[in-house]
Parts: sequence; C-alpha cells; structure tokens
Amino acid sequence: MPSNADKPQTTHVCYADSAWHGVAKVELNVQLARDTFRLRIVCPQIARRILPGQFVMVRLPGINDPLLGRPLALYDVIVDGGNPAAIDVVYLVVGKMTRLLARLKPGEMLELWGPLGNGFPPVQGGHLVMVAGGIGQTPFLALAKEHLGLQQYGDPPRVAPQAKKVTLCYGVRTADLLAGLDDFRRAGVEVFVSTDDGSLGHGGVVTDLIAPVVDSSPWPCCLVCCGPEPMLAAAAQIARQRHLPCLVSLESPMACGIGICFSCAVKIRQPSGGWDYRRSCVEGPVFRAEDVVFPTTG
Amino acid sequence: MPHLPELEVQLGRLRLANPIMAASGTFGYAREMAGMVDLRRLGAIVPKTITPLPRAGNPPPRTVETAAGMLNSIGLDNDGIEAFISNQLPYLASLGVPIVVSIAGKNYGEFVSMASRLDGLPGVTALELNISCPNVSGGVDFGADAQMCHRVVGGVRQACSLPVLAKLTPNVTDIAQIAAAAEQGGADAITVVNTCLGMAVDWRRRRPILGNVLGGLSGPAIKPIALRAVYQVARAVKVPVVGVGGIATIDDVMEFLVTGATAVQIGTANFYDPTVTMRLLDQLPDALAELGAASVAEVVGTLSV
Ligand SMILES: Cc1cc2nc3c(=O)[nH]c(=O)nc-3n(C[C@H](O)[C@H](O)[C@H](O)COP(=O)(O)OP(=O)(O)OC[C@H]3O[C@@H](n4cnc5c(N)ncnc54)[C@H](O)[C@@H]3O)c2cc1C
Ligand SMILES: Cc1cc2nc3c(=O)[nH]c(=O)nc-3n(C[C@H](O)[C@H](O)[C@H](O)COP(=O)(O)O)c2cc1C
Ligand code: FES
Repeated sequence: MPSNADKPQTTHVCYADSAWHGVAKVELNVQLARDTFRLRIVCPQIARRILPGQFVMVRLPGINDPLLGRPLALYDVIVDGGNPAAIDVVYLVVGKMTRLLARLKPGEMLELWGPLGNGFPPVQGGHLVMVAGGIGQTPFLALAKEHLGLQQYGDPPRVAPQAKKVTLCYGVRTADLLAGLDDFRRAGVEVFVSTDDGSLGHGGVVTDLIAPVVDSSPWPCCLVCCGPEPMLAAAAQIARQRHLPCLVSLESPMACGIGICFSCAVKIRQPSGGWDYRRSCVEGPVFRAEDVVFPTTG
Repeated sequence: MPHLPELEVQLGRLRLANPIMAASGTFGYAREMAGMVDLRRLGAIVPKTITPLPRAGNPPPRTVETAAGMLNSIGLDNDGIEAFISNQLPYLASLGVPIVVSIAGKNYGEFVSMASRLDGLPGVTALELNISCPNVSGGVDFGADAQMCHRVVGGVRQACSLPVLAKLTPNVTDIAQIAAAAEQGGADAITVVNTCLGMAVDWRRRRPILGNVLGGLSGPAIKPIALRAVYQVARAVKVPVVGVGGIATIDDVMEFLVTGATAVQIGTANFYDPTVTMRLLDQLPDALAELGAASVAEVVGTLSV
C-alpha cells in the first residue's frame, strides 16, 4: 500500500549529500578466495567520510557496456600517515562488471561515487553478533573494528560504544569461498563458519550458528545480518523470538545508488500499517529487521 | 576575447537560461541530487512523473542492464499529486530554476484536473504531459493516437495558463503525426522521446527478467532512435522540440541541437555519471564556439541533408 503525504516514516532518508564522484586509481586487486578479490581504491575524499555499512558505486570509466555502476560495500578504510587514504572493497565475481573488475591492474582507473546509504548506526554495547551469508561478510570488518576500538570512521570520526565481544557467523556454499577470515580474526572477532556441503565448520545453514552464540552469551546481544533474503528472514525470526535487536543490510539490485531511479524498491512496513516500496539506496541498505517485509514471511 | 555564446533558449512561453534539462524519472525530485550537482545551474528540472493518487509501482526487479542501456519497469511509483505539492514542491520552488512538472493521468479528466490543481502554485513553471509511459496500462494510448493526443493537450491548455510540453513515445508508427496533433492541441513544445518498449529474458529459467515482463529501454543504446525522432518531429512542427534519449556527452548534445532540438534532457546518464549535467554545461560554450555560433538558437536545426 503506498504511503500518503504526511504519514510518519519508519526510515530516515540519507541523500548523497557528502558524496564524491570522480575517477580514482586502483592500488591493489588481490585474490582472497575462489572468485573473490580485494580491491583498493585511492580516494581520500571517500575514505575520510565513509562509515561501516555504507557503499560506493563503481564502474569502468568511459565504457558503455557494462553501463551502470555496481554497488559495493565498504570493507575497510586504509589509513596512511594518520590520514584516511584509500578504501578497500571485496567482491565476488558473478557477472559482467565483476568479471572485468577482476582484470584490473594496480595503476588503472575506476570511476566511483560515494559514500552512499545510511550505514550501520553505532551498536549499543554488549555482544555484537554478525551473521553473513555468501559475500555478505564484506560490511562487517569495519563495523567490528569500530566496535572493538581499533579504528574510527567518518568525518568527524564517529565514536562507537565498545562491544564486550564481537562474533561473526559466516556461511558459504563451500570452504574455498570463505574470504577475509584472517582479517576478522586479527581484529579480535570470534568466527564460526558453516558450509552448505560440510567442507568446513558446521555443515548446514549459517543461521544454525546463531542460537548457540546468543543463548550462551553473558551479554545482551545485537544481531547484524547481510546475505540472501531467506537467510535474513531466518535470522530476523531468531532475533524476534528472543527479543533481540536485529539490523539487516539488503542487497537489492541498484541502478544509481543515489535515490533517483527507484530501482532498488524494498517492501518496508509503515507505522500506520501496511507497507510501502522504499528506496534501499537512500533509506537503507541497513534496515531494522522488523521493518522489512521478507517475501518468504509475507 | 570573443563573447561567450548566448545559452538562453525559448520553448514557446517557457524561457530557459540554458538548454540542459534533467529528464523526468531520472533525477528523483532533485533534492536527491543536491550533493552531486549545483541544481541552480540547470536549464530546467523535470521531476519524476506524478499521478492523481499514490502508486506503489511495479514489483522488483524493476530495472535490468542491457547492452549500452537499461530496461525499466518502475511503474510510476509516486506518492500522488497532493504529497508532491506538500513534500516536494516547496524545495523545488526554492531552487529558482524552471520546474517542469511531469503529470500522467489515466484518462482525459485526470490530466485536466491535475493541470488545474497545479496552475498558479509557486514553483510550478510549466507542465510536461507524460502521455508516453510504457509501464502503466492506459497511459500509452494518449501518445499513440493522434486524436486523443490532440484532445488531452487541448484540454490541459484550457485548464491552466502554464506552458505545456507534450512528451511522446517512440513506440508508434508515425511520431511526426502525433507531434503535429500535439502542436494543434496547443503544446508549447514537443519532448521526444520516452523509452522504447523492450524485453529481457533469462533463457535458462525460461522467464522474463523484469517483474513486469516488458520495460522501457533507455541509455546510449536508444540515441539513434531519439535522434531520428527529433529529426522527423522537427520537420513536422513549428513549435520547439526537446530531445531526450541516450544523451551523455557534449557531442550527443550538439548532435541533437543541430538535428532540430532547441533543448535536451539528460536521463539515464544521471544514473551512471551523476555529475554529467555540470560537465555538459561547462563544455557547451566551447562546442558552440567551435561552430562559430553566438547562441544556441543559431545551431538549432542547422543540419543539411
Ligand atoms: C548495498 C550493496 C552492497 C553490496 N556489496 C557487495 C560487496 O561488498 N561485494 C560483492 O561482491 N557484492 C556486493 N553487492 C552485490 C553486487 O553489487 C553485485 O554482485 C554486482 O552488482 C554484480 O555485478 P555484475 O555486473 O558482475 O553482475 P551482473 O552481470 O549484473 O549479474 C550478476 C548476477 O545477478 C543476476 N542478475 C542481474 N540482474 C538481475 C536482476 N535484475 N534480477 C535477478 N537477477 C539478476 C545475473 O543473472 C547474475 O547471476 C552489493 C549490493 C548492494 C545492493
Ligand atoms: C528508470 C527510469 C524512469 C523513468 N521515469 C519516467 C517518468 O516518470 N516520466 C517520464 O516522462 N519519463 C520517464 N523516464 C524516461 C526518461 O525521462 C527518458 O525519456 C528516457 O529514459 C530516454 O532518455 P535517456 O536515454 O537519456 O534515459 C524514465 C526513464 C528511466 C530510465
Ligand atoms: S538505486 Fe536508484 S533509487 Fe536506489
């Protein structure tokens, strides 16, 4: 049901008011896992401002096919001599653009704009439980480092409450797709892994890992989730049963990333009842799980 | 030092400081772009089309990329005219650039009542009649039938004192005939083109990719079609033509002007090159100077065939 003029809204709109658009140099493009690469883009303008959970749109300059930018989440900000200098993204090769990204060499140029989207809000104390499916771990490294006091993000640098503990529950189809485990462990994150084929860790879905973690935690838990929609819906249900706060980062396909095309519509519950299609790029990609109407849950 | 070329153009009763406009449905309600571009520099802004009542729009996926273009089936997702007037118009009015409000009705009466509702409101400079959206049943008929087009443009002209642009679809047998009907109905200018009806298919799943099956093709892929439409329409009518379709570079802009467009609208390029309009504005004076032109008007429709 579409919304009316003056209804209160569930979400807060984050326009690209501090976004930078331009062409920047690739400094690094290294393989982390099967079909998965870590790309470093020298761009202090974005590095200085971007928050965990925000994303950039990336494309190849001067090329008309692929045409549209592709959204990629912030993996981490690289600080050089005390100044944010570059951003890292981690991407999985799935199609037209990511196949071409995988061929980029250091020194080549990329077009990008960002930071975009709302990003994660600072998560209140306790135990931060991050649930990732597929390539959904990418927005969590910066979030973990921030809440473990290792790095600050944003302009001015944001002060996030320190978590007592940060856990990553990370599920993939098969073990050789696991990307960035060392980065998370080095940051002090507790990591549990699941694989669909049982090749490593728990054999089964990643949401099986959530209950043991949250039910045995001595601290109040907060869930943050990113991955395929059925996974998000299942994680949201586990959180709901236990009255735990739960945030989800959605990966709805985007054409502009800045709110002008209305491609990225997601069904968001409205305070007055019913739902409305909202733009995930400017009202998300991070939503409270209870506000999202998942296709599987209706 | 030679004088900078005159950029001002006239679309019937509507005067623009320059010919670079933002196309409907590809610029949100302009507020979205405030951090990316200097909105005050634009010749005009056409916000996303509004309808009498709120519309949720089509189910996702709503867009898919195709070779050098994209298909969309957004379905006129908008909060309705009253929400537009209370939530979007005050900001648009504050910008001090012409705002060409794009309206779509399901029938004659809806177009006319929207026109009279908007008439005289601060911030509404002109109307663009979207009689060409391929994503809503009932919408496309006005742009596909010369008589209906004539009637709806005439009705809107009578219902308000605003300059009226008629935006046409390329998905017709003879676009020149429809344009002539819009002119006779009293249109101040003709905007061509809206998107070209198209389709994308996933053969492995034997399914269409868009939730709405069919969608509108836009972007560089349709530029030759849009240029052709400008050429045909400019020869068929005396009122100015506004060109839109695949424009992304200063060369594209100049091609449209020379072919007969008095102004151009930038659409899909905003999605993948969000600061494109500013670059085009920076480059336009030099491109005009290259032709030795002292004004935009001097190059419009100067194509020799
Ligand atoms: C906010 C956000 C953050 C993201 N962060 C990351 C990240 O950090 N790392 C990462 O790897 N990915 C991330 N993604 C996903 C990433 O944007 C896509 O994987 C990427 O756009 C793929 O581009 P491509 O050209 O390689 O693939 P494409 O050629 O565009 O297609 C990719 C796959 O999707 C299918 N597909 C394409 N369009 C549609 C459609 N409309 N409907 C259904 N299926 C379709 C294709 O068939 C193909 O299997 C993020 C997405 C969002 C929205
Ligand atoms: C996602 C999308 C939404 C659009 N929405 C509208 C709309 O609401 N009203 C309208 O008149 N045209 C709409 N259009 C058409 C554009 O204004 C333009 O006529 C068309 O896309 C061709 O120009 P381009 O190739 O530069 O995009 C839309 C186009 C796209 C791609
Ligand atoms: S991706 Fe264009 S509006 Fe969200």
